[in-house]
Amino acid sequence: MAGSENPNASAVPRIETQLVYLHGLAAIVTLLISVTFGILASIELLVPDFAGNPSWLSWGRLRYDHTQGILLGWLGNAFFAFLYHAIPLLTGRPVKSARLGQWIFGLWNFAVVAPGWVLVLAGFSQPLEWAEFPLVIDGFVVLALALAIVQFLPPFFWRGLEDLYVSSWYVIGALVFTLLAYPMGNFVPELVPGARGAAFSGLWIHDAIGLFVTPLALAIIYFVIPAATHRPIYSHFLSMLGFWLLFFLYPLNGTHHYVFSVIPMSAQIGAITASALLGVDVIIVVTNLLLSLRGSGLFPRDVALRFASMSTIFYLVVSIQGSVQAQMAVNQTVHFSDWVIGHSHLAMLGFATFAAAGGLAHVWQRIPWARYNARALEWSYWLLFGGVILMVTDLTIAGLVEARLWQSAAPWLDSVRAARPYWIVRSGSAIPIAAGFLALLAGFTTGPRGAGLKSIDASAGLDPVEHIAPRLARAASGTL
Amino acid sequence: MSRDTRRFLRMSYLVASIAGVAFFAMSVALLGIWPGRVLEQETRRMSPPHPLGLSVSEQRGRAIYSREGCAYCHSQQVRYLHSDMARFGAPTLAWETRFDYPHLWGTRRIGPDLSREGGVHPEDWQFAHLFAPRNLVADSVMPAYPSLFDGSPDRPRQEARDLVSYLETLGRARELAGPEGEAHARSACNCPNDEMAQMAFHAASLNANPARTRRQGVAPDLPPTANMDRGRQLYAHNCASCHGPHGEADGPGSAGLHPRPANLTAHEYTTARVSYVLWNGVAGTSMQAWRDFSEEDRAAVAQVVRGFYTPQTEPALPVEITDLGARVYAANCSQCHGEHGAADGSAISELRIVPADFRGARPTIAESLRALRNGVEGTQMAPWTGRLSEAELSAVAYYVRGFFVRAQ
Repeated sequence: MAGSENPNASAVPRIETQLVYLHGLAAIVTLLISVTFGILASIELLVPDFAGNPSWLSWGRLRYDHTQGILLGWLGNAFFAFLYHAIPLLTGRPVKSARLGQWIFGLWNFAVVAPGWVLVLAGFSQPLEWAEFPLVIDGFVVLALALAIVQFLPPFFWRGLEDLYVSSWYVIGALVFTLLAYPMGNFVPELVPGARGAAFSGLWIHDAIGLFVTPLALAIIYFVIPAATHRPIYSHFLSMLGFWLLFFLYPLNGTHHYVFSVIPMSAQIGAITASALLGVDVIIVVTNLLLSLRGSGLFPRDVALRFASMSTIFYLVVSIQGSVQAQMAVNQTVHFSDWVIGHSHLAMLGFATFAAAGGLAHVWQRIPWARYNARALEWSYWLLFGGVILMVTDLTIAGLVEARLWQSAAPWLDSVRAARPYWIVRSGSAIPIAAGFLALLAGFTTGPRGAGLKSIDASAGLDPVEHIAPRLARAASGTL
Repeated sequence: MSRDTRRFLRMSYLVASIAGVAFFAMSVALLGIWPGRVLEQETRRMSPPHPLGLSVSEQRGRAIYSREGCAYCHSQQVRYLHSDMARFGAPTLAWETRFDYPHLWGTRRIGPDLSREGGVHPEDWQFAHLFAPRNLVADSVMPAYPSLFDGSPDRPRQEARDLVSYLETLGRARELAGPEGEAHARSACNCPNDEMAQMAFHAASLNANPARTRRQGVAPDLPPTANMDRGRQLYAHNCASCHGPHGEADGPGSAGLHPRPANLTAHEYTTARVSYVLWNGVAGTSMQAWRDFSEEDRAAVAQVVRGFYTPQTEPALPVEITDLGARVYAANCSQCHGEHGAADGSAISELRIVPADFRGARPTIAESLRALRNGVEGTQMAPWTGRLSEAELSAVAYYVRGFFVRAQ
């Protein structure tokens, strides 16, 4: 937080910019690797024998590494980078220790992501969705999550919770509940068989998105909007209402992944009802966010805000879609089809990735010594925007085509043949998406040092302190 | 903020935080633990007393299935939906999954559901398919797993054997439980008014896989007229990979199959026979059934298949040769192929593969002699060269061709 023109600068505690930078770079490197896994897997659906079928490049293993890399490598690192920047601003306190930060960084990348990938390719894994890394890796994930709680949470409890801005709540909720939910999806199904284990898997499939990805993505969006617009959010009340409803409702959604299964119908109906209510909650959250964005236009000038703003819109669309597809009438048709693959990409590549990219751009602008290439980030935004829309539209239609064939008496393979043109387009959509991610890397590693600071409208003050951290603002003005 | 406001906020956040943890705990209790208990009780009640678990080899196969991510394209969960039941059979009951650590239900189907895959395809087909899926199923996008083999589908490594033995277990426990098992589960379910639960017991067949072969059965009559263009297209998509583009049994998939696929140019088939084979498959061989094809499509394929045979002029045989053929046949062949060549001999219940039915398929003299001299690999049809003289071989080779009933 250099920038001597900022009157609040003296009150801002130390930000571990090295850790922001390290996690930010690790996020993008793991993102590029994860996307490569995804692209290879998508090509194997078109030309199944193209790689010569070595076992370590077989489709199933690539698929495992793709999603685990996106969840833990890309989003995990991006969230950590954001937390190192945001927590001192949100709380007025530094994180626990830089040393601990180096341990978390090392654990996360060199005891979880990298060895996890290698083990999966070598044939050591578990066949559970969003939990594909083998059990030994899960141990390190839990350890790293516990250390993250030690690192990030104490500053929030420095002096009561009354002043906490909504982003803080999302961070606390995400860190606490991810630690609770992770073992449920990764350990319990190994101990509890079949249908019983599937019930727990269903919980984790949803909690991975609902309790880890969504809250941290929303923490970023809620942080970036006031910081970039220099205006408080529209309503703190709505923000808290949305937050609590999210944490009440999200965990209750899990069973909607196994509708029409042998799992007791009342559990299924409960989850389906919660899924519908969740849509209502998302409307509350997004309304608040969009009203906070009013006046910025659909494509705000600041690229971090533009990413966050589109993330908000993707969040609305993907959540309404989720509420609808959980309903029995829709689920019985589209479940198992590419529609769901489109849905998950709208969530992870649209909503979460845009939030993470926005968060990274925002913090990068504020590292005075970091290289920053505004032009590359412009390219990144538009390439990703086009790529996501193309891919999700394509997969959604593919899902409907497959679903229609499955409902008919047509032979199974007809649905595979019918999907092929859509799979070609899906692989084609990898071109803008991969190019967008390369541009994101260029945006953070090329360009002049400190160019990020210059890209910010400095006239209104550097930071959103008065909007997101009243305690810090008071400390600066001497009223605390 | 006033003191009161702060106190109010503190209180409400405290309440909300407790509620947040409580809701999470509730989700685990309501959607994890409680359903788990219900399913456990259901399993205990509805399971047959000693369901067959997995052998060591089958467990190793399961680990390979897990490691390769098979569950990410093949679900193992037939839903309580008519569309699922029509394709795959009875909905999956909790007790059927009692040995699945961890479950392999899956949430995506690129390939078909495999919960009832056991018994659909024979081992040689599974090997050839794992080795090179597109050799057998044109347009399949399944990965090939050559690393499970020693260079050819005929030389599976232990891992391939384990995996295929695991595939054979899918759906096995319930199949073995038989009608008594179904009756037991239904009475234990004690849910006569639960429409959905009843669906589990009311599937037309436990395994509805349209490819599953039937050893006996009838086949629908096929309409005589057929769309040859459609037939050729269907043949190219679905048959040519084994039977070859011109019916000469030289498709890429033919190599690993035992017995080899039928040479369609070497047999004259009745439409009824082709219809029977398309509807029922040939049990014990890789010739699967094609009940998922519409009647028009099966009729079209049947005409294409029959068209591969070129009619030949039949030589008139001296009566002593016919008599010799009849004697040799009665002494050596009729136990399996039946007195009148209808594949209904007294020994057929002993045979894994039903013998050739000469009434519906007439081999050319060359094909007939070839089978007699070499036997048919992979079946109980042994070579007869050591046991029959050349004269006897030719006589019976001609004789069996006389059973054909073209009028059908």
